[in-house]
Amino acid sequence: MDATAFAQETGPTITLLEVKDSPETRSVSFILSKTDLATANALRRVMIAEVPTMAIDLVEFESNTSVLTDEFLAHRLGLIPLNSEQVGTITYTRECSCQQYCPQCSVELHLNVRCTEDHTREVTTRDLVSSHTSIAPVLNGPNDRGILIAKLRKGQEINLRCIAKKGTAKEHAKWSPCAGVAFEYDPHNRLRHTTYWIEDDVKSEWPVSANGRFEPEVAEDEPFDYNAKPEAFYMTVEGTGALDPKEIVTTGLRILQAKLSLVQLLLKEIAEERGAVARPPMNGFH
Amino acid sequence: MAMTEPSYEHGTRGVPYIDGPKIVVMASDSQDPGSATFCIRNEDHTLGNALRYIIMKKCGLSFCGYSVPHPSEYQINLRIQTDGTITAVDALHQGLSDLIDLTAHVKETFTDKIKQGGYELREGADPDAE
Ligand SMILES: [Zn+2]
Repeated sequence: MDATAFAQETGPTITLLEVKDSPETRSVSFILSKTDLATANALRRVMIAEVPTMAIDLVEFESNTSVLTDEFLAHRLGLIPLNSEQVGTITYTRECSCQQYCPQCSVELHLNVRCTEDHTREVTTRDLVSSHTSIAPVLNGPNDRGILIAKLRKGQEINLRCIAKKGTAKEHAKWSPCAGVAFEYDPHNRLRHTTYWIEDDVKSEWPVSANGRFEPEVAEDEPFDYNAKPEAFYMTVEGTGALDPKEIVTTGLRILQAKLSLVQLLLKEIAEERGAVARPPMNGFH
Repeated sequence: MAMTEPSYEHGTRGVPYIDGPKIVVMASDSQDPGSATFCIRNEDHTLGNALRYIIMKKCGLSFCGYSVPHPSEYQINLRIQTDGTITAVDALHQGLSDLIDLTAHVKETFTDKIKQGGYELREGADPDAE
């Protein structure tokens, strides 16, 4: 059964709703329908936690006379989104042959700022200099002032070296490419998977979301269908800037495929060991 | 100032990881090839629930369920029982194939819709692409 045959049988469908690509918001909204909660949720989970990006992981302080502690600054630096379009060219440090880190598995960034003026010096991601051509703090055009890291008074300075590594949000949320993944089904609560807390009137107190327009309203006298299952999932993927949201979706699906293919490959070995009549693979590994 | 060093002798540091084969068939007294419990390591609800759904959809299945036996052990147990027309190993194999096809189909459809909408999608943008 190939992908097209599958589509004809039960295949999920996708309706693209909106693609935002402005400096303020980069997101993609779509409806995933004719599928089950389990598969839709697998996609949501994999996009949040298993799509790799780059993030600062080690910070070496040369000097820090700011009011913020080293740990505090290191944590803030870790959360800065780095452009991760080129993350595919970087290996995980744990899979790298080096002892600690090297150019194959890391990117070095420097922050060296000293306040010499009488007014407060704002240290932003604009001051964070990357040694890599594209893996650098995300900036939305020339007017973007960057993310504020710290504020310095006259005479204070920060001088540090950062090592950014490839990782996934399974390890630390700083590696998640998603600022948010909106996931909704059954906007009219026809399935009664949720119970609203109400004072007087459910309709005025719990306005239906924008996705309500895609499904019919529940009639007053409509009998409850206890066999009904959610079939349409309204998803919005908003990126941090590290990756294009469209790419988060395709990469997420790719990773899901790779995970499944690995299990299938190893299962085949087990089946052969056990002497079971393993079915020939129905199609190539994607 | 000294750098805080990760302990690489532990291999994966903060990444949840459990050593051992990716998938094993759990020992059982049963001689019935239609029933088996598979232990899949380094996977969670993401794969477990999706697999449970897609396997249960097929004919010949009398039970399919999964559990995460302990929250700090990164593994799942997947139980399959069939009516005998198909072995549990085959049922899992077929389930995996179906889920791979489903994922491929969703990816293909998504890519098509993005291109139809006149948006750009970087080719070969997938990190980790083998
Ligand atoms: Zn290395």
